[in-house]
Amino acid sequence: MDLKQLCEIHAPAGEEKRIRKALLAEARALCGEENVRIDRMGNVLCFKKGREAGKPHVCVSAHMDEVGFIIMGATEDGLLRFRPIGGIDPRVIVSKRVLVGDDLVPGVIGAMAIHLQSAADRERVLDYDGLYIDIGAKNKDEALGKCPAGTYAYFDTPYLPFGDGFVCAKALDDRVGCYTILELLKGSYPCDVTFAFVTLEEGGIRGSQGAAFAIQPDIAINLEGTAANDLGDVDSQFQVCCPGQGVAVSFMDKSSIGQRRLFQKMLSVARENDIPHQVKRGVTGSNDAANYQRAASGALTCVLSVPCRYIHSGASVCCLSDVDAQIQLTRAFLNNV
Amino acid sequence: MQTENFLREITAVPGLSGNEAAVARAIADAFRPCCDEVHIDALNSVIGHIQGSGPKVMLCAHLDEIGLIVAAIEKDGAVRFGNVGGVDPRILPGMRVTVYGKETLMGVVGAKAPHLLTEEDRKKNYRREDLFIDLGMSPERVNALVQIGDLISLEGGVTTLLNGRMAGKTMDDRSCVAILLRTMERLKKMDSVADLYFVASCQEEVGGYGAMTSAFGIDPDFAVVLDVTHARTPGAPDLEVFDLTSPVAAKGPYLNPYLRERLTEVAKEINVTLQDEIVPRYTSTDADDITVSRCGVPTVLIELPVKYMHTSVELLDLHTLEETARLLAAFCAAAEDRWRDELWI
Repeated sequence: MDLKQLCEIHAPAGEEKRIRKALLAEARALCGEENVRIDRMGNVLCFKKGREAGKPHVCVSAHMDEVGFIIMGATEDGLLRFRPIGGIDPRVIVSKRVLVGDDLVPGVIGAMAIHLQSAADRERVLDYDGLYIDIGAKNKDEALGKCPAGTYAYFDTPYLPFGDGFVCAKALDDRVGCYTILELLKGSYPCDVTFAFVTLEEGGIRGSQGAAFAIQPDIAINLEGTAANDLGDVDSQFQVCCPGQGVAVSFMDKSSIGQRRLFQKMLSVARENDIPHQVKRGVTGSNDAANYQRAASGALTCVLSVPCRYIHSGASVCCLSDVDAQIQLTRAFLNNV
Repeated sequence: MQTENFLREITAVPGLSGNEAAVARAIADAFRPCCDEVHIDALNSVIGHIQGSGPKVMLCAHLDEIGLIVAAIEKDGAVRFGNVGGVDPRILPGMRVTVYGKETLMGVVGAKAPHLLTEEDRKKNYRREDLFIDLGMSPERVNALVQIGDLISLEGGVTTLLNGRMAGKTMDDRSCVAILLRTMERLKKMDSVADLYFVASCQEEVGGYGAMTSAFGIDPDFAVVLDVTHARTPGAPDLEVFDLTSPVAAKGPYLNPYLRERLTEVAKEINVTLQDEIVPRYTSTDADDITVSRCGVPTVLIELPVKYMHTSVELLDLHTLEETARLLAAFCAAAEDRWRDELWI
């Protein structure tokens, strides 16, 4: 399964059924049926026995869910009211396309025409109370008949390669991590490894709470997509990481502090193996590493991220060479534990 | 289905104001099977002629579209842009665009990250100056392929919705070009004496210059202008929005009352529901320029309601589009020499 297929599967937090099914099938094929299980949080856990005894048990984790929307109701004239699943700035969804529910009902998020806006309208951010999904329904009954409250909605965005080795797609956060794990499942390692595809990272970081407790690894490597914020004449102090310059290794972020020796080890493995890498410069973002660090008696953690621009939008951007670097560094680390 | 396919294809052809050659060629090709003669004029308006012995009528819908233009390239390769026509900056963050540089390039509109904005700025919309286009390339490559003044079109694609509705970019005003085409097709099976000039005009979004020059060239007895108007959306001022499901006829000092009466009569005869829009001054359509061409051209203005105008998801109802074509064809068939003489009596 390639990154395009992974990104184009619709699975917002809480409705991971499609991506779970796809990942389960892939993992079983690569890892053996008996080594793959679904835990009580809907996470997919795959165990690979190490070639050598006495090595630490490592968990490599990525989240399978993505940001999206959920239908809350409809207006009398048939427009769907909705809220985000995960943190989506309402400013990035005006004039964009979505698909609603299992039947993938097409819809658009319109906004009052510029001609009709007052000066105040032009300044004021349209928030989720002022935005609607228009599926062309004539009235409330028709709209809710097609898309009842509680139906999930997804960005209708294809996976498009562009520029020099870049790609624009929805859900790069964190299908890049899922893709890396699928690649790593093809190999064998000296240590025991549990590969975890976890649920409910967006909007709460909850799926990995269960996974971390179930696995209780010695070391957890969390694979992510993280906000880059490098482009557009941004002051260097605000740039977090740069797409195209390698996998980003975190020393800390908003939810956990990486174990210092593990961080140093990761950098030296990257250097020794000539793997393109960069240190993530900003203390931004929260992720599943927090749960692995603090579950049960705790674990050493490190986060390896693919830098992504415009994360949590329908058009996030990353550089494919950084995904390769994420795969290479994780593999090299597992071989060096 | 046929109209839907035409719209799908024609909205995919770029035609930013002032650079309409590609879309003009595509529209000329579409007009040709229905017309006695088709030509593209000096400014890139398309003029299709169906000969007749009756009054000379100009029917006009604009073919140009709004978009962006490269204004500067930052040191890091981010492309800053200006507007061609009235683009609402609110629609741009997270939008995919096409940059017509030395190669046709895909880009993504980026914005300053929310955590870099002050609390105050987070409550405001991004201004055009806050936004940039990411081409996924090094600054060296961007500078080699893109120069200031290159054109940028907004995110394309057409989404088919429920109830014969569809949404996409440039329905303003390619939907009305589709009405011209459907009118020609309908007229093939009707008796009409009028000498008809179907004009897909250029440069409407920047000022009606195509319509102005085409009207001079054609020198019509009177004109019908087709453009989009606003369909009802939440929060919109009620006097300026209309029901999506029937055409609108404008009424006001710039428009000819006699022709509007004839239009209303025809609509009644063939059972087309018409909504009234009252326009106290400028219509902000090609009608403003056509009406004062040469010694003056009496004009009637018919409008197709669309939701979310000047976004990339302009939404229309295909049934309304077809009803408008039915009305326009009947209006052309009804036109007679007598109208010319009675315009001001």
